[in-house]
Amino acid sequence: MDDRATCGPGPLDSLGPLGPPGAQREPGILRLGRQEFPAGRLLVMAIINRTPDSFYRPGITWHETAAMERVHTVVAEGADIVDIGGVPAKPGTEVTVDEESDRTIPFVEAVREAYPDLVISVDTWRHEVGRAACAAGADLLNDTWSGWDPKLAEVAAECGVGLVCSHTGGQHPRTRVFRRAYADVMADVLDRTLTLAQRAVQAGVDPSRILIDPAHDFGKNTWHSLEISRRLADMTATGWPVLVSVSNKDFVGETLGAGVDDRLAGTLAVTSVAAWLGARVFRAHHVEQTRQALDMVAAVKGDFRPARVLKGLV
Amino acid sequence: MHGPARGPAVIIRAALCPCPPLLARELTGRDPIVSGLREACAEAAARLVAADPDILIVVGPAPETAGWDSASRLDLSAFAPALGATLEASGTPGLPLSLGLGVLLLDQAGYSGPRFLQAVGEQEPVGRCTELGDKLAASAARAALLVMGDGSARRSPTAPGHLDERAAPFDARVERAIRAGDLAALAAVDATLARDLMATGRPAWQVLAGAMGAERPMTEILYADDPFGVAYLVADFEAAPNGAGQAGAS
Repeated sequence: MDDRATCGPGPLDSLGPLGPPGAQREPGILRLGRQEFPAGRLLVMAIINRTPDSFYRPGITWHETAAMERVHTVVAEGADIVDIGGVPAKPGTEVTVDEESDRTIPFVEAVREAYPDLVISVDTWRHEVGRAACAAGADLLNDTWSGWDPKLAEVAAECGVGLVCSHTGGQHPRTRVFRRAYADVMADVLDRTLTLAQRAVQAGVDPSRILIDPAHDFGKNTWHSLEISRRLADMTATGWPVLVSVSNKDFVGETLGAGVDDRLAGTLAVTSVAAWLGARVFRAHHVEQTRQALDMVAAVKGDFRPARVLKGLV
Repeated sequence: MHGPARGPAVIIRAALCPCPPLLARELTGRDPIVSGLREACAEAAARLVAADPDILIVVGPAPETAGWDSASRLDLSAFAPALGATLEASGTPGLPLSLGLGVLLLDQAGYSGPRFLQAVGEQEPVGRCTELGDKLAASAARAALLVMGDGSARRSPTAPGHLDERAAPFDARVERAIRAGDLAALAAVDATLARDLMATGRPAWQVLAGAMGAERPMTEILYADDPFGVAYLVADFEAAPNGAGQAGAS
């Protein structure tokens, strides 16, 4: 399948570091599904892979019963959003639209039936899958491949759901970064994500349902991912809610010299830095630990009441 | 130490409550904790208010003996800066912890009548304490007294002052005296031992002893426990009718 004829990053006008006029928004309420989240609320997006071959614990939720069991678990652990994906990010055997739909759509329906109010996100770049997912009950389209299929934003608008606007440096879906260089990676991230957000608004997506995501590791080497982590405040300053997806990723592994099963501490460290710098949604494999790290950061920021304070007060 | 003759039962009702910061709901986080203690304190304060006194006097230990502005409140931000300086607008200085929590209890009980706030110095000898109590009692025809003070903070290995084996019998003696309405026994509590045991309520107990005089009030213990290694005691004292006092059952 070559979708380059109709899809791809496309030409962008030079928009400057903060994107086009009007690309900023007032920080405030994020709406997802039936729910409204104020600015100080940090949200955990639990990863549910309906794939046999994703990079972290491949195949663990390939079967529907295992996937539903994981939904029950992550909800109990404090997940605010589940992110259901049917295609791994890495290169591999082609997953067609039909195959991706088969993997994700019935499962979205099942989760919606089990949890009427849970925010359901679907990780896809294809508008056909996005449309079917919305019909099945999805609330958010997580476009990890950065508007490769421009019709996805139109589907989000048409269905009244949210959209994640990400940055990949123009990578084709399911390809790995190869010798990518940026004059200023954060400027490129801002340019792309804000442009996509602006396009989504123009297409009719509710601005309060749009997130931006720098997309660590996508079209970026480890130095780039560290740089966008360090400068994440440049993104949060735009007022758009920022989603970060850092869980167990290679930039953590390369930084710490840690294998894929030994990246939790690094993941939580970057998660905490991102939370401190104002990110609001955190895509995660380890929901319980992420929830705890975020609650701790929120308490330090003064946005979260401690559970039980007795020390020195008895 | 007794002044000119005065009418009987000038302290018509008194209450004893502990004064840990955790009594302030804002300080303890999301989980409901010490609800039994808070309810007992609320009950004790409600009984004082229901007695309809001419004035309600709050007494509590503090570094120095002093009267405080009755419009003052506790500055919770001293314990939890995230709560913000709540007193800046009022322009009044923050009360010592014991008086501040006493005022909080009165506010929560809906009391809006006259009040007087009396700190008693932590180092005051017993004679000064009972004398102060006597003066307070004489200050109005029908006064009620809210006495704030804790027992030993050395009751267990996890207590603020670790374990001192003398703490349990010390607190038991205090509780027995209060249960029996034996205020003379409170006046006899040894100040040095109380200090050793971090029983910060000692001077306030002795003000109570001075204020309620020799008559045995009827008492009821509403709470007695040490969930965090500090002895918390909540008690209600009702003046004996016509001076014919006797200890009440608890």
